[in-house]
Amino acid sequence: MKKLKYSVLSLLVFAMVACDKKNDNVIKPNVGSNFPQILNLADEGDGEIEDEDKFSFKIELIDRVDPDGEELEGRIVPLKQTVRVHFEVTDHEGFSNLADFIKDAKAFYEIDDCTTSEDENIDLHLEFDKATGKGSVDFPAGVEEIEIEFETDPDLFDDKVLNADDRKLEIKLTSVDAKDEKVVVNTANKFEFEVLDDESIYGKYELDIDDADQFTKFKNLFGLINEDVKGLSADDVEEIEVEFEYGEFKAVVVLKETEEVDECGETETVNKEIEIEGGIEELDIKALEGAVEFADDIEQEDGSEKEFKYSGEFKIVGDKLELTLKGEYDDEETDGITLVLNK
Amino acid sequence: MPQIIFAASNHKTYFMNFRSLLFLAFILCGSTIAMAQRGIIKGKITSREHNEVLTGATVLVNGTTSSTATDLDGEYQFYVNPGNLNLTVRYLGYRDTVINVNVVANQLTVVNVVMQSSQSVLQDVVITGYTQGQAKALNQQKNADNIKNIIAADQIGKFPDPNAAEALQRVPGVNIERDQGEGRYVSVRGLAPQFTNTSVNGEQIPSPEADVRYVALDAIPSDQLASIEVSKALTPDMDGDAIGGSINLITRSAQSKKPTILGFVGGGYNNLMNKGNMQGQLQYGQRFGKDEKFGVLLNSNYYQNNLGSDGVERAIDDNEVELRDYELTRTRLGLSSTLDYRFNNHHEAYFRTLYSRFTDREWRRRYVFKPEDEEIEKLTKDRFESQSVLSLNAGAKHIFKGFLLDYEAQYSYAEQNTPYDNEAGFVAGIPSTLNFADTKFPKIEADEDYTNNSLYEFDELGMGNTIAKDKNITAKFNVGVPYKINGSDGLLKFGAKVRSKDKSYTITQNTFENLGGVPNLDQFAGTPVKDKYMGGRYEMGNPLDIPKVINYFNANPGQFELQIADKASDEALESYKASEDVLAAYLMGRQQINKLMVLAGVRYERTKVTYDSKDVIIAPNGDLEAIRPVTGSSTYDFVLPQVHFKYELDKLTNLRAAVTASYARPNFSEIIPSQEINREDNLATIGNANLKPVSAVNYDLMAEHYFGSVGIVSAGLFYKQLDNFIYRRVTFNSPYPTTGTPIISNIDITQSQNGNNADVMGAEVAFQRRLSFIPFLKDFSLYLNYTYTHSKARLQSREASADNANLTEEIRLPGQANHVGNGSLAYEGRKFSARVSLNFNGSYLSEIGGTKEEDIYIKNRMQLDATAGYAINNQFRLFVEALNLTNQPLQAYQGNANQYIQREFYSYWMRFGVKFNL
Repeated sequence: MKKLKYSVLSLLVFAMVACDKKNDNVIKPNVGSNFPQILNLADEGDGEIEDEDKFSFKIELIDRVDPDGEELEGRIVPLKQTVRVHFEVTDHEGFSNLADFIKDAKAFYEIDDCTTSEDENIDLHLEFDKATGKGSVDFPAGVEEIEIEFETDPDLFDDKVLNADDRKLEIKLTSVDAKDEKVVVNTANKFEFEVLDDESIYGKYELDIDDADQFTKFKNLFGLINEDVKGLSADDVEEIEVEFEYGEFKAVVVLKETEEVDECGETETVNKEIEIEGGIEELDIKALEGAVEFADDIEQEDGSEKEFKYSGEFKIVGDKLELTLKGEYDDEETDGITLVLNK
Repeated sequence: MPQIIFAASNHKTYFMNFRSLLFLAFILCGSTIAMAQRGIIKGKITSREHNEVLTGATVLVNGTTSSTATDLDGEYQFYVNPGNLNLTVRYLGYRDTVINVNVVANQLTVVNVVMQSSQSVLQDVVITGYTQGQAKALNQQKNADNIKNIIAADQIGKFPDPNAAEALQRVPGVNIERDQGEGRYVSVRGLAPQFTNTSVNGEQIPSPEADVRYVALDAIPSDQLASIEVSKALTPDMDGDAIGGSINLITRSAQSKKPTILGFVGGGYNNLMNKGNMQGQLQYGQRFGKDEKFGVLLNSNYYQNNLGSDGVERAIDDNEVELRDYELTRTRLGLSSTLDYRFNNHHEAYFRTLYSRFTDREWRRRYVFKPEDEEIEKLTKDRFESQSVLSLNAGAKHIFKGFLLDYEAQYSYAEQNTPYDNEAGFVAGIPSTLNFADTKFPKIEADEDYTNNSLYEFDELGMGNTIAKDKNITAKFNVGVPYKINGSDGLLKFGAKVRSKDKSYTITQNTFENLGGVPNLDQFAGTPVKDKYMGGRYEMGNPLDIPKVINYFNANPGQFELQIADKASDEALESYKASEDVLAAYLMGRQQINKLMVLAGVRYERTKVTYDSKDVIIAPNGDLEAIRPVTGSSTYDFVLPQVHFKYELDKLTNLRAAVTASYARPNFSEIIPSQEINREDNLATIGNANLKPVSAVNYDLMAEHYFGSVGIVSAGLFYKQLDNFIYRRVTFNSPYPTTGTPIISNIDITQSQNGNNADVMGAEVAFQRRLSFIPFLKDFSLYLNYTYTHSKARLQSREASADNANLTEEIRLPGQANHVGNGSLAYEGRKFSARVSLNFNGSYLSEIGGTKEEDIYIKNRMQLDATAGYAINNQFRLFVEALNLTNQPLQAYQGNANQYIQREFYSYWMRFGVKFNL
């Protein structure tokens, strides 16, 4: 009987000892509903031509898993309470006092395509100290994104020379007063605003549509990726504009043909347009001549996408831009084609 | 002169009125009339020297064909004609024992026999534990109606095999697949694991894993088992869903009123990790009551093993090399119990439980060199996985006047729980070059110090958990009706079974990328766990420490962005629910005609399966387009005729032949209707709920001669003709869905389909015996077996295209090794014993590639193990075991045998301790 007692006792002890090896050094991650909402800067940067009088940045909520399960790629789930977000101009170059450049600030959000919070006199209680660059703004409940717009001095950088130095500033989110909301801000990302030099390639240019050679070259160059451009007749075209913006190339063909559009309840007659856009991959911005490359994807009929790329050189002489590009798309490519554009 | 020792007693018996069971009366009418004039002999055969039951002993009535064999408890029973009879009891290693018994009609006579070893009277020959185990196994094997191999617990204990899979590797024709050097899956006779079913105490157990049916046998500790049976030819009373073989794991039960307390405690050492391990077992068994009516056996064991591996992997097409540094802690917990109650000599009931839990904590630290991308990735994975199997069997056995009845209900549940599976990856833009001049150890040259953690930027952090559940509820009964035709004994047997299975798999996956601000890897560096990696051939530097990354993640969630579409896709694609209902019935007869035994019958099985899963559709632009619920179901029936012949050339020699029909169900991963429709790549992978099981006709021949001094020499041939063989077929430019209104007009669909035939043939030979016939080797024994297997299957050619989709090619079946064998030499002295064992697995096709050149093979492997023991006294014994003494790696190659794509080294590991039997 003694043996039995000892055996049963040992068996119990053994069974207890024989539990799994403790999962030591395991940190439970805060995922699922424990993962907080994130407020982040909507864009990494933006730029405006040097005589522009404003710029803005946006603060947005990051997509989450759709609680309704409808949006597979996720969607923004707005906050249930208003929180207060703090931000700061953390660095600037090309000027010494922030207040010399930024004159005023306001904050708003879009209620729909035609209405903003400003229109409805909704105050986001923006506070911005031009001296320190520190600011705070309400991020209201039920809102996906807010925009903070700065009024700037259009004369500060508006010169007639090609600038060799940067003129820019950067903004970061610094914290959030979350109250009962489980929300954090990304404090590492920055929004960089750059003053674009209109003596460089940045800015708008026009193609002389009466120059049959230039018009044909434009068609040959961009007809590669756009069937409408390929079939253009000069008689159908009102004007052709080419623009180099912050991070983007844009060519707009304004047609003579018009259409009626509904803009916030008002019907307007506008010219039809053909737009060609590409993200800038390479661009020499501190020189009057240099390399340029832009590319993008084009959606196909079946929903798939194919990439196009244009690369070449540019040369600015006075008000003229000589743009020599070679296009590649869908195993086809153009020869190097030179467009001469007028500023 | 050996003394015959026996105890016999007569009991008046009570026979239940069988006529009340109307549905059986019709079938059994004729035989019950014959039974009215017969008596029953029942008893137990034990060993005098070791006071142990003798399993597999033959008991026969002299001058007749009436015979039977003892079961695992050493018990037997059979129906005989009344009168004064001489019974002969025969057991390998023991002298034949003849007993005179007077049997009265309609009465039960109990004849218990205590036998004396023939070897114990020979000078200097020691009966050891191993010989006892071998004798038990061989006696059962010899008396079995079908072709089977049996390993007894004592025999398992003499090999250094900690789990059931590794114990099975010693059986002829069995090949095992290893994970981190430890045996895991079992293939029988050249057929992959899904062609073999696994049972505990005669009833199938579910698989803890999500996508397969077969059980990872490293989850079952061998110390829980009384024996393992591998049936290579099925009888109609067995489940018919096994083509390679059927594995039955039998747990232990109490044998006598004397308490049995045995077990061991020990430790161990893993040379690669330079770490120890611990283990122990404790078993208690006893029978209680005046007539030892109530038996209790409780068994527990625990094994914690710290192990690891050093591996190099190569992706040929992508020109990539991975260095993989594994560190693992594995535990195996086994708890089992058997409660049985013998109401009287006619009726008994039992309740058996088995719970096993296998846990695996794994850290995988690796570099991925990607010269084409001019990148090097550095990753660490930290994962915990537990596999639990619970089996509860309750049943009873009855001996009635004219028939035998047993029935059982089983609840079994298996679960694989992965509460965390975390992996973080960082990337450095470091160009590198790879040189494969030395195919075994690729040379890596990087432009910068690739161990410099400050160069690695955060890529992604994946954190997931999964749970797979599989539940079986089974009920069955068997009725045996003895009869006699022209003086020859026979047994008519029939029975039925129902089984309901529910299986499910759910996954949660959260993968985060850098939203901005996550620092480089040097902020998350840990310390190396090994002094040298791959013997110092490669530098691993300071590894990425996952807890540091997750701590940072928790503290700075604003810097991480959840990949929502990936989450939706991963979770939908892999999760599923399935249910499977099986109804089976059989009828069989076993007839002894002089020296020939014929067993023939038919089994019917009907299976109804239903599945719920989800389609994942990827849009042409690569976006997640839709997730749609889908369901599938199918019903299939099998009628499985089976016939076995066993001819006793003499009392120690059998010739066997069998022709049996069987089948194997598809893996769940092949039939669940989950689908990935990738319109971006124009590829779809879809399940096939209508997939039919593989059916087979199996032909077996076997000759076996047993040595009276315990041993066997045997040779056999087998041929299996497989129909509806499952293979993955590509249908080019197919509409999708394949039925109904298409939403996609042209897409290449990969789907498992039936249609092709395959053949497997082979031969196996085995020899084992004590070398007592050679005077100077009388304490040595030899254990040898070898199996040759050949297979061919015809599949859709990998060169097929939309123009010639019906082009076929012939391949070898995945998992089939041409050569499999074992060799073992043992010394068994009075106190000291030692054994060296070799296990050889030939190379086999592991994965069918997109082209023949992409086929992946596992290279042949020979493992050398050794074990030794010293008996301090009758109660305590020291033991030491050493495995993988020659540091045999796992090696995979692609295309040709010198083009290695994986080499993984484990070094050797040891176990030692003391065994006791109080």
